[in-house]
This record gives sequence, structure tokens and C-alpha cells, in this order.
Amino acid sequence: MTQNPFFDDSWLKLQRDYWDSLANLGQQAMSAAQSGPGTGNESSASAPWMAAPWMQAMEQWRKAMAPAASDPAQTFMQRLMDQGQVYFGMVEQFTKGLGAGDTANTWEALNKTIDSMQQAFSGANTEGNEAMKRMLGFWELPLDNWQRMMSSLSPMMPGDLLRNMPHAGMPGPLQEGLDRMLSAPGLGYTREEQAQYQDLMRTGMDYQRAFQEYSAFFNQLGFKSLQRLREQLQQKAEAGETIESARGLYDTWIGCCEAVYAEEVATPEYARLHGRLVNAQMALKQRLSVMVDESLGAMNMPTRGELRTLQDRLQDTRRENKQLRYELDRIHEKLATLPTAPTPGAAQPKTSQAGAGQAGAGQSSASRTGTSQSSSSQPSSRKTSASGSATTKKTTARKKTAAKSSGG
Amino acid sequence: MPPQPKAESEAARYALRQLSRDRAGTVGPAPAPKRHGAETASVTTESKSTDQPSASDTHRRPAQRPQQEHRRMFPIDIRPDKLGEEMLDYSRKLGQGMQNLLDAGDIDSGVSAKDAVYREDKLVLYRYQRPADVAQQSVPLLIVYALVNRPYMTDIQEDRSTVKGLLATGQDVYLIDWGYPDQADRSLTLDDYINGYLDRCVDHIRRTHGVDKINILGICQGGSFSLMYTALHPDKVRNLVTMVTPVDFKTPDNLLSTWVQNVDVDLAVDTMGNIPGELLNWTFLSLKPFSLTGQKYVNMVDMLDKPEKAKNFLRMEQWIFDSPDQAGETFRQFIKDFYQQNAFLNGTARVGERPVDLKQVRCPVLNIYAMQDHLVPPDASKALNGLTGSDDYTELAFPGGHIGIYVSGKAQKEVTPAIGEWLNAR
Repeated sequence: MTQNPFFDDSWLKLQRDYWDSLANLGQQAMSAAQSGPGTGNESSASAPWMAAPWMQAMEQWRKAMAPAASDPAQTFMQRLMDQGQVYFGMVEQFTKGLGAGDTANTWEALNKTIDSMQQAFSGANTEGNEAMKRMLGFWELPLDNWQRMMSSLSPMMPGDLLRNMPHAGMPGPLQEGLDRMLSAPGLGYTREEQAQYQDLMRTGMDYQRAFQEYSAFFNQLGFKSLQRLREQLQQKAEAGETIESARGLYDTWIGCCEAVYAEEVATPEYARLHGRLVNAQMALKQRLSVMVDESLGAMNMPTRGELRTLQDRLQDTRRENKQLRYELDRIHEKLATLPTAPTPGAAQPKTSQAGAGQAGAGQSSASRTGTSQSSSSQPSSRKTSASGSATTKKTTARKKTAAKSSGG
Repeated sequence: MPPQPKAESEAARYALRQLSRDRAGTVGPAPAPKRHGAETASVTTESKSTDQPSASDTHRRPAQRPQQEHRRMFPIDIRPDKLGEEMLDYSRKLGQGMQNLLDAGDIDSGVSAKDAVYREDKLVLYRYQRPADVAQQSVPLLIVYALVNRPYMTDIQEDRSTVKGLLATGQDVYLIDWGYPDQADRSLTLDDYINGYLDRCVDHIRRTHGVDKINILGICQGGSFSLMYTALHPDKVRNLVTMVTPVDFKTPDNLLSTWVQNVDVDLAVDTMGNIPGELLNWTFLSLKPFSLTGQKYVNMVDMLDKPEKAKNFLRMEQWIFDSPDQAGETFRQFIKDFYQQNAFLNGTARVGERPVDLKQVRCPVLNIYAMQDHLVPPDASKALNGLTGSDDYTELAFPGGHIGIYVSGKAQKEVTPAIGEWLNAR
């Protein structure tokens, strides 16, 4: 057990005080709204959320204690914290001002919230609105996953390196001009090197364009998800249903995001964007790899290309070796199950002791091989047959030697 | 040939229906708490069942302002005091959950006792220790798992173990752990995996038990491997069980397949050598990113206040992100031949120099699929019916997802005993 439990009385008290004060503020906001026309969007209830002590306290504790946890536990905790923040941010965003006055005013407040979020997806400034940023960040989850994944594949080139490069989204003619410049043939002594760098820039820009297309898709997704949420709430109102818990609201929102996402990613258009993103990234990485290889070669170091050639050849050899060994083992197994033929040496009682032993062993081996040869029709047995003949010849030679030595 | 627009829209609708059914998050370890889960499910169903305009239509038209039509009713009624209470409860559970995570200690991978009986390169063949009080079957069973993710999912925790369930039915269970390929394994081909590693494991088991044929249980991609293996070595397989196995790789609801059609697999493999596990993880999470990387963690907070549950979630979390890299040449062939060219259905499957003819699969076949599978949709598995040469073909549909089919409590009660019973009868 840990020595410093996070979940102690003082922390709980802090939390309770905080939520009590928030509830009071909410009540006050409601009263204030009832006494005068409230726009809702600037509700005082939103202020204390920002100062929420629970997240900071928990974050500090996590940082202090996390090193004691196992790796998966640490990663898991981080994800819990991140998504907890999104959850709280969402609740903050959608509940502010909802207690303000009559139904028309609350619809107005909600519409303003959704409008401002949709505007943010169209590029409006969200400076200073942390909850909004967290909400928008949530729609970037798939994109964020991509960035993390790319960073893990390219430690020397973080996934977001090209995301905000200055030539991103340059006007068409300028882009065309740059493309033309990069397509110009290199000149002089460093011609090949120039061409490589031109190609590197081209593939970098291709990837950047692919990534921007992909990002734009997710911005549209966020916009459409909010529209879907608006429609869902409208349908609930028509059906006389209400959402009475923060979690219910969160789940409705997730449901809208996932439903819109599912519709959009099943289209050929998305498949094209997805393919283009992966292909552009791979083309860029390949260009970089070639240049790294050439530098390594220039330093007289082994290159990735050379290693791969060796790997391919080695694997071919290993495959063949394993197959041969496998066949050999099966042959041995087969041989072991065959009945041993009577050794011709046993019928020669006059042979000397030493000579008989050698000859017997040799003949036995030969006869076993000979039996295998006659009983097998497998192509591989032809090799066995050849070696069998060789063994027989050797045995004959040995017999002669043995006879000579015994005779001598 | 590019699909026709009409087919595309049908495909999209089909995918949606499937995804909406899979709202519980089959990759995620835990369903949402009932009250929330039910609400979410109904929300999603509503969004599909109503005649809403398409997403592109909604994008084009101006945002509607419903306040005029609905003055008397507002659909959000969260009282500030109740909200405070709810958030306090969430904070308390999160705090307790964090504490439990911190105390969880090391996470084991696989819970049943087993012995390594054969090793080759990075592959290890395990044999599970059998319970003494169960009558043993004479024909051993080999589990062939996918190269993607790790095989300990079949034995993830004490009360969620397919392996334990199979042992309880008297099976003598073996399992192949393919290991973690590195760049030196880049040149391994489908031929190396199927006619090499897999065949040598089968031979080892046959020799150990003195039998000509063994039973094989292939899971997901491992099921596709098992089908190819059985077609190429029919004399070594007595019964074949395929679980959540893709056979038709181009069903309209197969999102993975839709996405991979435009990927230049040659470029990816030539560039990366092996295909990194992170890339596969990203692809799988992209199937339902908001549920799998967002909502799941919020829902989990409700269940982390019990230490044992916290540990179980950590096990699952570790497994989800424990994705070995894929040997480049095998990946190239599998994606091109199967995902892009649908080799089983088109009869173009090959392993090494040998064509694969599924009609050579003449042994009894039990094909199990999950009805809410978003990775291998039911139709992708059901396509096996009629493709083999077996006259003893059985299908088993499980009401769950791709992972739930071997880790859910329901699967422990329904699927695993059914496999044991089917095998024992043959």
C-alpha cells in the first residue's frame, strides 16, 4: 500500500466545500436570471469551474505518486485524468446559463453555446476559454492519436513537426510556384544531392497537404456532431424527455460524435483521405531513409538497405535449411521404424574379429539405406539412393582394407 | 473496380447499423454502467432510426433554432445541487480508483499454469497444465492466435479465461505465442508462418501424443492461418474451430477493409520494414475513437473503486496496447492478398508456391462469429459456409463483440463449453 493515500478526509472535505459552493453559485445564478433577462452564455456559474481545485490537487498528487505505480497504471491514470477533464469541461460548457430564466432563454443559451463551438471549428478564436479548448481537443482525439503514433515511429521527427510549418495553406499560385521550383532539375556537381533535397521538400509538402485535408475532415466532423446534438436535444424536447444528469448529457454527446463519425468514415471520400495520409507519411519517411542510408554509406557504415539484403538472403537460407532438416528428421524416423535386415557379415564366420566388426557396421548401414531406397518413391529418396550407393562403395573399400590388414 | 455510389451508401448504412449495435465498446473491457449505457444506446438508436438528413445535408443547411417551437420544454434539467453531488461522486471514485491503480502492483499476462514445450526463433509453444479432476480427451487442441495483439487474451484473468474453459471440458490445450518480431524477422513470409512455424508446432504435438491428427482452434487472423493450414495439410487436422475469422474480407460493413483499399502497402512495408504495432493500434482505435479513447475512461471511473476491478481493467488496458510489430513480408502478403484481393473468395490464395484450395478442408468445421463484431463483421466469417469441402459444418453466433467472444462472462458460459462439447462429440 502507498504511504500517502490520496483519498483522505481533508481532500474529501475540500471537494465537498467546492461542490457546495458551486451549488450555491448555481442557485444564485438561477435567482439572478429569474429577476432579470440573462443571456446565459456569461453565467457566473462558469467561473468557479475554471478554478476547480479537484483537478489541480489530483494532478499534483498523481505527479508525486505516479512514479511508484507500474507503467500501465501510469499511462492508464493519465488517460483517466485527461478524459475526466474533457468530461468536466463538457459539463461546464453545456450547463452554464441553463438555469437562467424561462425555456426560451435556456434554448437561447444552449444555442449560443453550440453556435460558439461551431464557430470555433470554423477557425474562431478560443483564447482564454479552457473548457472550450478541451472540448475542441476531444474532437481531435483521432488526430491526436495519429500524431502520437507518428511521433513514436519517428523519434527524430515529431508527428506535429510539419503540422504548423509556415508554408502550410499557402495560396494556390504560391504553392504552384514552389512546386515548379522544386521540380526544376538540379545543376552542376551537387546535382543529385539537390534533387534529393527537392524531393524531400516535395514529399514533406505532400504530407502536410494530406494532413491538412485530414484535419479539415475532423473540423467538419466536430461541426456536424454539434448539429446532431442540437437535433437530438430537439427530439428529446418533442418527446417530452429530459436529461437529468451530467453523465446522461455526456453520453448523449458522445453518442452524437460517434454516430456522425461512423457515417463519415464509411465513405469512399474518407478512405481516400486516410490512404493519402498514410501514403504521404510513408513517402516522406522513405525519402528520409534513403538520405540517411546514403550518409551512412558515405561514412563507410552499413546501411539499412544492405542489412535488408542480408536479412532476405539469410531468411531464404534458413527456410531452406529448416526444410532440409525437417525432411532429414522424417527420413531418420522412417528408417528407425523399419525392420533391421540380417547382416551379411554374420554369415562370414571366418573373418577376423576387428575386421568383422567394421564390415558389419558398414554393411548394416548400407543395407538400411538400401532398404529405404527400395521402399520409398519420394523424390527426396533419390538423393538418399545416391548417398546409399556411396556408402556401399565406401563399405566395400573398407572391407578390402580390413581383409588386407587381417591377411597381412 | 471502384464501388458504385449506390452500393457505397448501402455500405455506409450497413456499417452504421453494425456500429450502433456495438455501442457497448467491444474492445473496451467494461460496458457502461446500466443507467448510462442504456441511455447512450437509445440515443444512438434514435439517431439511426429517425429519417434524418445525411451528414452532408446537415452541414450545408443553416443551423436550426428550435427555441420557437419548443418554448414549453427544455430537454436538459440538471439541478445545480444534483450536479455538484454527481461531480463530487465522480471525484471521489476517481480518487479511490487512482489509489487502487497505484496499489495494483505488477500486471500478470495469463493466469493458467503452462509449460513451454517447443521453441523456435521467437515462437514459444505452450502446453497448459490440466486439472486432475477432469476426464481427458486423447486428441490435443492447438490454439492459433493472430499475429496482431498477444495471445494471453485467451487467458486474461481467473474468471475470464477461454483456456480454463477448454481445460474444464477435458481438452489438452496448446497455444502458440508468436513473440515480438523485430527487424531481423522482416523477411518472414506467410509460408514461414504457416508451412514453417505452425506446421512444426503441429508435428511436435502429433509426435508427443503419437497421433496423426490434432484439433485446431484459430482465432481472428489465426483462424485464417488455420484455414490455410488445414487446406494444405488436411492429413494433420482432425477438427477445425474458427473464431471471429475473416473469410470474406470485402463485406460492405468492414471498415478496416474500406480504409486499407487506398493504402499503398508496398510503400509502407518497403519504408517501415516491419509494420509497427502503434500503426495498427491507431487503426483499431480509429474505428470508434470517441468511445474507445474517451468515454471508456469516464465510464471506468464508476468501476475502479474496487481493487480487483482496477487490476482487471489494467490487464485489459495493457493487452489493448500490447501490439507486436508485424513482420513486413507477411503483412504485405496478408493485406494485399486478402484485404485487397479477397483471396479466399476469389480462389487466389497462395502460401509460398502452393495454391490454397479451401475444398481440401474436409474435416468437421465449427465456425464461431460475434454478432456485434466491428473488426470482423459477421458476414465476413459466415462466408466460410459452402467454401470448404467439409460435410460437417456448424455455425455458432455469439451475441457480443470481437473481444467479448472470449473474455465476457457470457462467453465463458456459452462459447467455450460449446466448443468443448462439439470437439468431444467428434
